[in-house]
Amino acid sequence: MTAIQRDLAGRDPGLAGLLAALGQDGPAAGGPVITADVPAGRLEDAVRRIAARPAARLADVFASAADRGDAVILRLIWGLDADHAYLVTESVIEAERYPSLSDIAPAAFYEECEIYEQFGIRPAGTKPLNRVALPPIADCDLPRLGRAPAPPPADVHAPHVVGGHAFEFPFGPVRQVGVESLYYGLVTSGEEVVDLYLFTWHKYRGVEWRLQGRTPRDALFHVERTEGLGAVGPAWAFAAAAEAALGLAPPPQAERSRAIALELDRLYNHAAATAALCQSTGLVIGQAAAEIALERLLRLNAAAFGHRYLFGVVDIGGAAAGPDAAALRRDLPGAYGELRRAADALLSTNSFLDRLEATGILSQEAAARLGLVGPVARATGLPIDVRADHPASPYAELLPEVATADGGDVLARFRVMLAEAAESVRLIEEMLGAGAGPGRAEPSGGAGGAGSDAAASGLGWAESCRGEALAWVALDDRGRITRARLRPASVRNWRGFDDACRSQNVFTDIPIIEASFWLTVAGTAR
Amino acid sequence: MPLWFIRGLRRGVVTTRYPARPDDSAALLPTPPSFRPGALTIAVADRLAQVCPSRALTREGEVLLYDVGACTACGRCRAEVPAAVTDSGQFELAATIRARLIKRIPLADGGRAPGSGAEVSP
Repeated sequence: MTAIQRDLAGRDPGLAGLLAALGQDGPAAGGPVITADVPAGRLEDAVRRIAARPAARLADVFASAADRGDAVILRLIWGLDADHAYLVTESVIEAERYPSLSDIAPAAFYEECEIYEQFGIRPAGTKPLNRVALPPIADCDLPRLGRAPAPPPADVHAPHVVGGHAFEFPFGPVRQVGVESLYYGLVTSGEEVVDLYLFTWHKYRGVEWRLQGRTPRDALFHVERTEGLGAVGPAWAFAAAAEAALGLAPPPQAERSRAIALELDRLYNHAAATAALCQSTGLVIGQAAAEIALERLLRLNAAAFGHRYLFGVVDIGGAAAGPDAAALRRDLPGAYGELRRAADALLSTNSFLDRLEATGILSQEAAARLGLVGPVARATGLPIDVRADHPASPYAELLPEVATADGGDVLARFRVMLAEAAESVRLIEEMLGAGAGPGRAEPSGGAGGAGSDAAASGLGWAESCRGEALAWVALDDRGRITRARLRPASVRNWRGFDDACRSQNVFTDIPIIEASFWLTVAGTAR
Repeated sequence: MPLWFIRGLRRGVVTTRYPARPDDSAALLPTPPSFRPGALTIAVADRLAQVCPSRALTREGEVLLYDVGACTACGRCRAEVPAAVTDSGQFELAATIRARLIKRIPLADGGRAPGSGAEVSP
């Protein structure tokens, strides 16, 4: 989303103290994105200070190659949700080790592993790392953002021991028809899931590597395909990051076009998740009912924007397509009504609810600790939604009602999705009333614009159907990408999946839990 | 569960007559482009190859190679040179041999002047 300007006046006074401790003065910290340079020697202390702050969550960690030598710039993105701001800390790491972030903020562990594979630097200490990004193929020159680790990453796999009567067997990556490939190791003593290990590297595509050297508009094509199912959220986050770097402000009607596409994206994905829940519980007629709704919503997408999966709507600086308002007004009530009827019937089917209730439980503490987002986090009672926490046009003028639930089980996630679908319909109607259409702001060539002398960077965000999508983009003086970081919501939420599966579940619960998370493997293995 | 059985019977069969009859929704699908050789020069072919994100379009000497199997119907070529590219309206693209999906579109007069001939569709 394109950020609206705010000032420190509405923020917690403690934030000014925190920023002062990080070396930032008030005026510089007035925008929705605060950037702070943190020397490597003070990084650990800074992370402790920020992590101790209420409603501060570590949203992403990534690295970039520095201009000189083998140094690496480590960036941490914090969501300061109560202060409606993101904090980006930048630390130059000259050595091969940096302070262990996951010891303080456990959500950083996945990224520590990823940075090791991509850039060859690792957290201090002896904690073993997992392989998460690059496949273990010997003598294969895979796209890599930095230099390879000195010892082969295969030597630092976190070992796991299966003892007692338990045994482990691999499952996937090829699974049943129509389900995205995923490989995981299941540890069981017979039927109960004792442990579960996810392997997502088999699908690594090096998307971030491929974006380097491209213009943002050229790169958008690839960004939209990062997740496939759910193109609008990551595309909007990426476009907003590029717009922040280029100093562009999209026209209001184009922002509303994006928002309508984003809500349609949410609607069809929640319908698809409903169908998947029915499939995983063996309720074939319910599945057919949800898929009828899904097909009607996909056709509505095509009628409204010219693409069933809403590709090509978001553009850098605005929207390439505007919605067909007449088609939306005519067909949306019927398509949503189809989903609502199926959902109402499911909510009165005890055999269905029995499978969902107390299945795949995630505690609120675990969701906060792992930095989960979207319906998965909201189903634990955490009201994280960047449309409300980091409101940007058009959501700043039209705040959504954030749906939450208690329990953190599959049923809670299902209820959150249904409430969100209803809210999406309301938002679409409101935004159609305000007027939506294509439009684009062009770079002026001024500060940060393409053609200016200054290289620039920017952070963008959007509340995708799976939760907060983030993107960070750095451009050179020709307006070409030197580093693009894509962080779809799937990257965050897969790390909660194994926790949910371990919570006293049996094998047959795993597809149900997976459907309720409704993530993509491609989004993680980007 | 019997209620679901009754619900399913009541809803009836929900499907289309495709492929026996065209489906209405086909008109809404983005489709791969068709090319007008009369508007194609080397310079135009290079511009088209430049904007194609999936490398479905490449120039090989005086020929524009169009790989229908690699095309994602993103519409960038049409937006770049609308005079040379139109929507084909075709989405039934299956072929039994991969090579049949690759179209060779000659750029007439050595590509210095627009070519001629019938429109090339997927």
